[in-house]
Amino acid sequence: MGQRVANASRHVTRRRVGRPGVRSRWALPTGFLLLALFSTGCAQAGATVQGEKVHGLYVVIAIMAAPIFIGVEGLLLWSVFRFRKRQRDGGLGPQTFGTTRALVIFFAIPSVIVATLFALGEQTLATVQKQDPSPVVIIRAEGFQWEWTFYYLNEGFVVSGKTLHVPALMVIPVDEPVKIQLHSRDVIHSFFVPAFLFKRDVIPGRTNTFTFTANKIGTFPAQCAEFCGLWHSKMTFIVKVVNSTDYTAWTEQQIKAVQSISCPPHGPALSIVAKDISWNTNCLAVRAGSPISISVTNRDAGIDHNFAIYDSFSQTKKFFQTGRFPGVSTRTDQLPPLPSGRYYFQCDVHGPSMSGVFIVGGK
Amino acid sequence: MAVTEARPAALAPRPAARLISWLTTTDHKKIGILYLVNSFIFFVIGGVFALLMRTELARPGTQIFHPNAYNQLFTLHGTLMIFLVIFPMLAGFGNYFVPLQIGALDMAFPRINALSFWLLPVGGLTILSGFLAQGGAAAAGWTSYVPLSVQGKAGQDLWTVGLLIVGTSSILGGINFIVTILRLRAPGMTMMRLPIFVWSILAQSLLVVLATPVLTAGLIMLFADRRLGTSFFDPTHGGNVLLWQHTFWFFAHPEVYILILAAWGAVSEILPVFSGKPLFGYPGVVLSFLMITALSFTVWAHHMFATGAVELPFFSITTEMISIPTGVLFFNWLATLWKGKIRLEPPMLFALGFIAMFLIGGIDGVWMASPAVDFAITDTYWVVAHIHYVLFGGTVFGIMAAMYYWFPKITGRMLSKRLGQWHFWLQFAGFNLTFFPMHVLGLRGMPRRIADYAPGRGWSFLNLVATAGAFLIAVSIAIFFDNVFVTLRKPRTASADPWGANTLEWATSSPPPPHNFDALPPIRSARPVFDARQAGLSLEGQP
Repeated sequence: MGQRVANASRHVTRRRVGRPGVRSRWALPTGFLLLALFSTGCAQAGATVQGEKVHGLYVVIAIMAAPIFIGVEGLLLWSVFRFRKRQRDGGLGPQTFGTTRALVIFFAIPSVIVATLFALGEQTLATVQKQDPSPVVIIRAEGFQWEWTFYYLNEGFVVSGKTLHVPALMVIPVDEPVKIQLHSRDVIHSFFVPAFLFKRDVIPGRTNTFTFTANKIGTFPAQCAEFCGLWHSKMTFIVKVVNSTDYTAWTEQQIKAVQSISCPPHGPALSIVAKDISWNTNCLAVRAGSPISISVTNRDAGIDHNFAIYDSFSQTKKFFQTGRFPGVSTRTDQLPPLPSGRYYFQCDVHGPSMSGVFIVGGK
Repeated sequence: MAVTEARPAALAPRPAARLISWLTTTDHKKIGILYLVNSFIFFVIGGVFALLMRTELARPGTQIFHPNAYNQLFTLHGTLMIFLVIFPMLAGFGNYFVPLQIGALDMAFPRINALSFWLLPVGGLTILSGFLAQGGAAAAGWTSYVPLSVQGKAGQDLWTVGLLIVGTSSILGGINFIVTILRLRAPGMTMMRLPIFVWSILAQSLLVVLATPVLTAGLIMLFADRRLGTSFFDPTHGGNVLLWQHTFWFFAHPEVYILILAAWGAVSEILPVFSGKPLFGYPGVVLSFLMITALSFTVWAHHMFATGAVELPFFSITTEMISIPTGVLFFNWLATLWKGKIRLEPPMLFALGFIAMFLIGGIDGVWMASPAVDFAITDTYWVVAHIHYVLFGGTVFGIMAAMYYWFPKITGRMLSKRLGQWHFWLQFAGFNLTFFPMHVLGLRGMPRRIADYAPGRGWSFLNLVATAGAFLIAVSIAIFFDNVFVTLRKPRTASADPWGANTLEWATSSPPPPHNFDALPPIRSARPVFDARQAGLSLEGQP
């Protein structure tokens, strides 16, 4: 009954204010459009094939939400102005308690909206979740407090940032499917590239993978999105999308850069210092055959480091490893005799972002 | 002890005796007041933490707080506001008004009621004492995700133990409410005549009793992992880091409804009074409360979409389904206003503000319920905007509506209407200025919980706006406190039923005597006081 009364009065009021005509007839749709434009204008369009779909879904939800927002807020304001108690009014409004029919309608309207929304959402989700079976680039992305390391598995090299100083750089080719495998060295992180409209958590003890295809050339800032402790806000990285020529050039340059690292051999006592989760050098060299000691200084209070020597960053063969120890302290160890050649050293806690070349020279 | 109530000042006992009476009271009204006072103290502390955070974030770069300090601030801001402000505030109103609204003498277990309250400051101070510990207070966020929280210093242990104490308080309080509502209703007060606020407290208490023990279990596992060498959450020893998230959110999503149900109840109580109409669709509102109570246990993993380890479609549809009963609430509120005689007294202003703002918190949640969009906006400032539109735009506006509505009943004094209007409009403006821009910040990719951000990301101006808004909120809250303290010094002039209300608490004097009622009006509907007024019956204490 209350519903009927309400409908009737809405009818009357519309006739009364309906005269100004054109303007009020368009006011509502224009409002929806403005609101939808406003809310979608703020959202980025997405720089990947998948991101564009997400943006599309975002807009669809905005278009569905706009009339609800304007309708409810409008009714609220209308009620306050139209039904505000005047001085001469009697005390009470109509004593309508609501009918079962009204209740059914109240339940039905949001049910229809939810069903539509869910169907549309699932469609987009399927696209975003679908993994490309033949990715051109496969990157193992490692997060740790508070930096990123990217292993280019097909090309065979590693890039990393310097914690608090240089953000890690991930270069990928445009229009090619890229696969990311996420690993954590310590706590939970989240791989988040805002322009791709996507993030995925980096969880210890679990490997999350996803694929995407970037379709816009450009440089996109990115960062960890799951709170991971002291310097969470500095755990940024950069994603650079380039054409395939530039990509090949960049990968070759990375490989060459490691090969060209060199330094003169030092005496029987080596030393290396870890500070701000970085080594003070990316190259250590010794003469073959002579006994060598290495002293490792950890200047990072409360943070563990160690020192280890491998054949390469893929760590197929281990030649030397100290235990982990917290800063601030120094430990000195004797190195085993190593045949001449180029080796790889790193801090096992932080991986390739704290690494360098260990050269055992001819004489 | 109880003699101190409602007696002329000349007979008031000495200050020491008064203090002891407050410390030892088992009167639900006094305990209710203790809950409210305690909550407002923690509200000021949590609010100051928020202002400090906003000050740091006003500009890019680190100005005042080292990230270590900032991380403690946001952890404690969230923890205090959720566990020691919003929930106890609602429980305080529940304590004071549930027995009155159902025509009872007191809560079912008055001494357990006192225990529930006194555990709160103990738990709160335990958490805060982390600031005195080496390494500072807990700094892993109010969600305290492992393994980060396992790394934390002693402050994290104090947080864990403090929260265990607060959780115990909630469970005891929840049982007390359930028993009180089911067993102590006055003759004639059938379940379908319960004031809607009592229904909301009943639903809230069911959630508390079913969900909080899960948090307790999680906290014990966390403590054991930290101090006893267990490895529930350590994958290198067969544990699972996501176990914590499942445990935490199985509690914490119902918790969000624990934090808003009673505000819905209070608003559903206030709208009819100031519209001169009954609540439209009372059975529909009750049904919605119960549906939300049930559904809230099925949605927890929507906080974990980005982990890639949960069943996305299931948690997406259950989450979206919660908007059905919530939508019904909005329809019923609007229909209650429709053709009413609306009086814009401060309680009504805040109740209307609640609807307007909670709507935004409801709508912006819909984007996140869709996993594909959630991947883009979860853990960004969009989430910060959403939670504040729900818990500040929603619950805090609801709490303020309840404060202005029930203040005369609790104290016998009416808060100033003019100051109330200033408070409302400044809070409304400040709130939107602070939190609306956060939607845009989230869309522009600003992650939450960052102590610092770089310039040139399109974040700086909006952060400045948000900070300005936060200080505007502070001004509005200062006006509120001014209103309260000035009013408390005035004589008691409020009548038994100053608003022309519906429910039994208005059938006794303001403030009520220790035994609550000398006589009850007949209870033949959900609005016994309305019925009595219409029938021309005089109410106790009415001038």
